[in-house]
Amino acid sequence: MKKEAYLGVDVGSISTKGVIMDGDKNLLASAYIWTEGDPIGAVKRLIEKLGAQFDRNAWQVVATGTTGSARKLVGAMLGATVVKNEITAHAVGTTAYHPDVRTILEIGGQDSKIILLENGIAIDYAMNTLCAAGTGAFLSSQSRRLGIPVEDMGAVALKSAHPTHIAARCTVFAESDLVHKIQMGHTKEDIVAGLCEAVVGNYLNNVGKGKRIQEPIVFQGGVSKNIGVVKAFERALGAPVIVDENGHLMGAIGAAILAKHHDARKVFDFGIENVAFKTREVICGQCPNRCEIICVYRDGKLIDNWGNRCEKGDITARQAKHA
Amino acid sequence: MSQNETKRKVAFPMIAHYNPAVKYLIEQGLGQIYVMQPAMTRRTMALGEKLAPDMVCTPFKTILGSMIEALEAGADTLIMTMGYCRLGYYGELAESILREQGYTFDYVNFAEYTTGRPKDYLKALKAITPHPRPPKVLKALKEALDMVQHIDDIECQYYMNCGFETEKGSFKAALNRFFKAMTSAKSRKDIDRGYRACLNAFETLPVKKPEPVLKVGLIGEYFTVMDAFSNLDLEQALADMGVEVHRWMNVSHRNLDYPGEKNLHVRIKDYCRYEMGPTSTANIWKAKKYAEDGFDGIIHVKSAGCTPEIEIMPVLRRISEDYKIPVLFLTYDTETATAGLMTRLEAFYDMIAMRRKVIL
Repeated sequence: MKKEAYLGVDVGSISTKGVIMDGDKNLLASAYIWTEGDPIGAVKRLIEKLGAQFDRNAWQVVATGTTGSARKLVGAMLGATVVKNEITAHAVGTTAYHPDVRTILEIGGQDSKIILLENGIAIDYAMNTLCAAGTGAFLSSQSRRLGIPVEDMGAVALKSAHPTHIAARCTVFAESDLVHKIQMGHTKEDIVAGLCEAVVGNYLNNVGKGKRIQEPIVFQGGVSKNIGVVKAFERALGAPVIVDENGHLMGAIGAAILAKHHDARKVFDFGIENVAFKTREVICGQCPNRCEIICVYRDGKLIDNWGNRCEKGDITARQAKHA
Repeated sequence: MSQNETKRKVAFPMIAHYNPAVKYLIEQGLGQIYVMQPAMTRRTMALGEKLAPDMVCTPFKTILGSMIEALEAGADTLIMTMGYCRLGYYGELAESILREQGYTFDYVNFAEYTTGRPKDYLKALKAITPHPRPPKVLKALKEALDMVQHIDDIECQYYMNCGFETEKGSFKAALNRFFKAMTSAKSRKDIDRGYRACLNAFETLPVKKPEPVLKVGLIGEYFTVMDAFSNLDLEQALADMGVEVHRWMNVSHRNLDYPGEKNLHVRIKDYCRYEMGPTSTANIWKAKKYAEDGFDGIIHVKSAGCTPEIEIMPVLRRISEDYKIPVLFLTYDTETATAGLMTRLEAFYDMIAMRRKVIL
C-alpha cells in the first residue's frame, strides 16, 4: 500500500512553483522554474522535475491543487481536485508553518498583496490594482537597465549607506527619476538600495494603505529573496520581518494543503509529458459582447473552456446538443 | 390637439434595469414612441471610450455608447438624467460630443430643467410632447414609479435567493419573464400581473439555504453598483458562490423613499460630520448598518476616479476596524476581463466562509 501524497502547483506570470507533500506538511519534492510566457510548457517541465525527486513506489499523489494566475488552465491540464485563488493559498500555506502570523506581505512578479490574519484566519486582504510599480517585474526591468542580475540586487543594496531617494508612485515616474539620478552621478549601490526602498514605499502606500500591520510579519513571494527589500521593510515598519526558506513556494504549499483537506480524490500519475495540450481562443459571434472563450484541448479533445458570459456561447451545451 | 402630429422616437441611456419604466412613461403618459437600444455590451463601451475624454468616469463612457446605439436604432430624441456630482454636467458634455460627430437629434437634458420650479418641469414635458395632458402624465408617472419600485424589489429578492436555487437557472428564467412583462406593459394591470407572477415564482421555486447563511452587503457608486454590465455581474458571481447578496442602493431607496441627508447624518455622526457627495452619506450609513446587522462582509464598488466614493474609503476602513467586518474595495474601469475580479472575489468568499466556521 502506497502512502498518500499531495501535489500543489502555483503558476504565476514570472515563475512556476510546485511541491509534493506528505500528510504532515513535509516536502517530498519541490521545484521553482521560470514560466517564460508558456504556462503549459512550464508545468510539463515542473512535473518532470518533481517526478524525478520523488519515490513513486512508496508514495502516490491522491489529490492535486492549483493556484496562481494560470490556475484554471493548469487545473484543467493536471485534472486538479482543487483550484484556488492565490490569496487563499498563500494564507493557508503560511499559517501551516507560522500559525501565529498576523501579517503576510507578498510581492510577486506582477502583483503584490497583503493579508491580515487573526488566530490563523484571514480577516482582511488587499491586492494591487492598476499599477505594477511595487512588484518583481519593476525590479527585474531596472536590474537590466543597471546591468546587475536581479538575484544580486539585494547584496548590492546592502553595501549602500545612503540610499538614493527614488520617486515610487508609478513605474514610469520611478524610471525617469532613476535615469536622472544615474546621470547625476549617484553610485550603483545607492541607486539599487533606493530602488528597494521605492518598492517598499510603493507597496505600503498602495497595497498596505490603511492596514494595521502587526507582528509577526512574514514576507514572501519572489521579491522576498531580495535581502535589500527585506531590510527596507524592517526599516519602514520598525519590526522584524520573517522570510521563510520556503517562502517562494508558499502558494504551491497552500494549494497542496487545500487539496489534502478537500474531499475530492484523483490519482495523478505524472503521465503528461507526452500528452499534447493546446489552447485556442474563440471569439463568440452570438452578440456584440464578443466574449473571448478559451478552449483547452488534451490530445485534440476539448476538456475545458471559460471566458464565456452567457448561455449563447456555452460551448459544452452546444457540443452536447450536436453529440 | 392634432392627432396627425408625427410622434417622436424617444430614447434614454441604458441604466441598470430601469428602461422599461422610462418606456412606460414615454408611451403611456406622453404618447410618444420609445426606442429601446440593445443591452450594453463591449461594443457599447468601445463606442463611448473612443469619443469620451480619457479621465472621465467610466459610466459616462458606457452612457455615451448607449446613446449612440439608441441613435443607431432610430431614436430622434434623447433624454438625459440630471445628477448631484459630475453626472450633472455629463448631459451637456454628451450632447456636444454627439453633435460634433454629426448626429442629429433633439435633446432633453433634465439637468437644465430640475430647478425646483414646477414651471420648469412642465417645460421639460413640453420639450418631449407639445401638448401634455397633465392628468394622463401624472397617472403614467405614478405607474412608472411603481414599476421602478417593483423592479427594485424583484432584483433585491433575486440576488438574495438565486444562489440557493435547486433547479439551475430557475430564478433567472422567472426574472427574465418579469423584465419582459415590464417592457411590454401597457397598463397598471399589466405591471401588477407581471410583478405578482414573479413574486409568486420566487416564493414557490425550490431553494436550499444553509443556516446560517453568508451575507454580503454591496455599497458604492450609484451607477456602477447597480449596473450588472458595468460591475462585471458582481452580484451574480457572488450569488453563484452561495452568498446572500444585499444591495440597498437603488432608485427606490435613494430617490423615492430616501430617509434624507439629515436623518442619515444623525445615525453616522460618530463617523462623519459633513456631506461628502450624492451617495456618500447613504453608503456610510448602510455600511454601518450591515456591520451592526451581523453581515459577513461588505463590498464597496466604484468606477475609477469617482471622487465622492474615494473620499468615503477611510471612513469605511474605520467601520471595518470597529466592527471587525472585512471590506473589499473594487474599482472598475473599462476593462472587461473578469480574471482579476474573480481572484479577489474568491479570496473574499474563502475568507468570510473560514471566519464563519471559526466563529461558530
